[in-house]
Amino acid sequence: MEKGIAHVSYSKCMACGICVGTCPFGCLVLNKTGIDSLNKAYPELKPNHGCTGCSLCARACPVDCITIHP
Amino acid sequence: MKGYTGKILLVDLSKGEIKEELIPDHVYENVLSGVGLGAYILYNRIPAGADPLGPDNILGFVSGLLTGTPSFVTGRWMVICKSPLTGGWGDSNCGGTFSPAIKQCGYDGIFFSGISSEPVYLYVDNKGAQLRPADDLWGMDAIAAEEKLIAENTKNKKPAVAVIGTSAEKLSLISGICNDGGRIAARSGGGAVMGAKKLKAVVLVGSKPIGCVDPKAMKEISSGLAKKMRNVNMPTFVKGGVLSLLGKIMGGMKQTAPLDGMLIGLLMKRWGTISNNTMGITSGDSPIKNWAGSVKDYPFSSYKKVNPERVLEYEERKYHCYSCIIGCGGVVDISKASKGEFTHTHKPEYETCLAFGGLVLNKDLDTIFYVNEILNRAGMDSISAGGTVAFAIECYQNGIITKDMLDGLELSWGNPESIVALIRKMIAREGIGDLLADGTKAASAKLGVKSKPYAVHAGGQEPGMHDSRMDPLVGIHYSADPTPGRHTIGSGQYYDMLHLWEQVSWAPNPGFYTKADEYIASEKVALKTVAMSCYKELTDGSGGCLFAMVMGISHWRLFDWLNAATGWKKSADELMEIGKNIQSLRQLFNIKHGIDPMSFKMSPRMAGEPPLKDGPNKGKTVPIEEMMHLHWKAFGWDEKTGVPGKPLVNRLKKAQIITAEVK
Repeated sequence: MEKGIAHVSYSKCMACGICVGTCPFGCLVLNKTGIDSLNKAYPELKPNHGCTGCSLCARACPVDCITIHP
Repeated sequence: MKGYTGKILLVDLSKGEIKEELIPDHVYENVLSGVGLGAYILYNRIPAGADPLGPDNILGFVSGLLTGTPSFVTGRWMVICKSPLTGGWGDSNCGGTFSPAIKQCGYDGIFFSGISSEPVYLYVDNKGAQLRPADDLWGMDAIAAEEKLIAENTKNKKPAVAVIGTSAEKLSLISGICNDGGRIAARSGGGAVMGAKKLKAVVLVGSKPIGCVDPKAMKEISSGLAKKMRNVNMPTFVKGGVLSLLGKIMGGMKQTAPLDGMLIGLLMKRWGTISNNTMGITSGDSPIKNWAGSVKDYPFSSYKKVNPERVLEYEERKYHCYSCIIGCGGVVDISKASKGEFTHTHKPEYETCLAFGGLVLNKDLDTIFYVNEILNRAGMDSISAGGTVAFAIECYQNGIITKDMLDGLELSWGNPESIVALIRKMIAREGIGDLLADGTKAASAKLGVKSKPYAVHAGGQEPGMHDSRMDPLVGIHYSADPTPGRHTIGSGQYYDMLHLWEQVSWAPNPGFYTKADEYIASEKVALKTVAMSCYKELTDGSGGCLFAMVMGISHWRLFDWLNAATGWKKSADELMEIGKNIQSLRQLFNIKHGIDPMSFKMSPRMAGEPPLKDGPNKGKTVPIEEMMHLHWKAFGWDEKTGVPGKPLVNRLKKAQIITAEVK
């Protein structure tokens, strides 16, 4: 497993929120707007998130839009 | 892991005991998880004739088989119980974030029996479960109680909370169970069952991973859907006003053909369910004036006030449930509408907009916003509440409810102040509100036989806001389903968009057809409703959402996801048999509890008896009794009585789904 933290690729992300519900530490939040014309909220790491890079979110993502890297 | 955890949690509230139980694979292979798992537990364990509000009733919170897997729009959870509203099988489902939380605690479902002596709530995390006192929460509205529980129980991860409001505490038979700030599993009266058990809430903070057999295959299916959904966007120059025109065209069409279900995705992404606010009125889909009126009673000058574009003016942000890529929800600003009492409410659904709009001839959008929020907080079903207000108005207009019963309220059609005041009384069970808080059937029984024509329901449950005189197939589902009055089970319009015939050998392909044919009881129509029911039960066993389901089997690929998650290699026909198992088990539950299926036949008005004199549904009648018989026959149930036949019962026994004695 690569060391690092979760990074979201917004060109692939569908804002479904599965990653937010999966993270065992509550690091992600649906808060990032300005991505699409409907202004939906997309996932991002919270400030002081404490992401361990466990990759559970990446494995759960249906479209593989999360990668773990520094 | 095959998508399911294979484990449930059993909580005996009378004894304060909590234990786990393993569920064998064959249960999931025959009835899936979700509503199917629930039917398996409740059918075998609730004694015949149990009081729905007594200790023998079992209240279940179940997740879907696909919830938490890399699939889209599969995050709904279900409440199941013996319904105090209908006396038979009860279920209701809701989105938000509660469904994955059940599985992240390690369970496919949590089942409550008994009655607690004091108010309690259940807390579950990775370490285990415990019952905690809830005296300080009792009497709080659902949103306030949820906020308090989240504040008290958040360490890292925000808890998921299912909670009742005051309406359920007061055992209103039209109360539901809330989550995620006032979203509600509203139907079947599950809230009253929870209130009777003195269970205020369930708080879940698990973080166990949810696995499936072939995540790669699941992601390939999901990526295909994602690609399509990304490209489905209504052009911004198209405004909501065009929808009433579209409705008018649809309502006037004599012939039709199956549409691509992605149209639903298009409408839902832009407006949500309110896309039907005006389209439904002009097409004849929306029942007006307690099902006795038409667009003539609620004309353009009225329905333009609930135009979806007007609602969107107040939408501050979009909202979507866990795993959803449609995002039909929204949060609207109601500080003006509530005169400062509240800041926001969930964007009212079409059902609420119509139940407190055209059904009662109200054209004041602020009232709809406000009523939406107070009902969500109280945890009362807005469909049943709106239907009951319409019933009360008509009773008053006909001298059955008199002025001295109303504490000064003037119950005229379209009177916003009276509507709000009456809802407040129903929530508080004050005065006439106490009589109305259990829905139309119970109120009519107290008011006498003269009120019966105005009590619009099926088997005690107020119907959804979709007119069976416009779509007779929805009438069959309203009447012949084990949970009557439910618009979410099926309709002709839904069926056409599913395109099941592309994969299911026996599902009829409607092709280009004459609408008038649907008003004639026929085996083809019956078979369509059976296919629809089976597929809906599969959806409810999977945690799927109706709006994704109606996008169609080639877009929202339920069959393929189920096989990829479980490792099964079942054909579409074999999977549909699972749907048939679930539906038959729900019907057998009703038979066990003494329900005569024909007693669920919808009110005469809903079948066009007498026929309407105006509007798109003018002169239309539905031969509902004949249609119910044919629906049962096509299911393999007794054509006359609606009792599932011996071959089906034996199949369920052989599969060890039925373990209790069948009489």
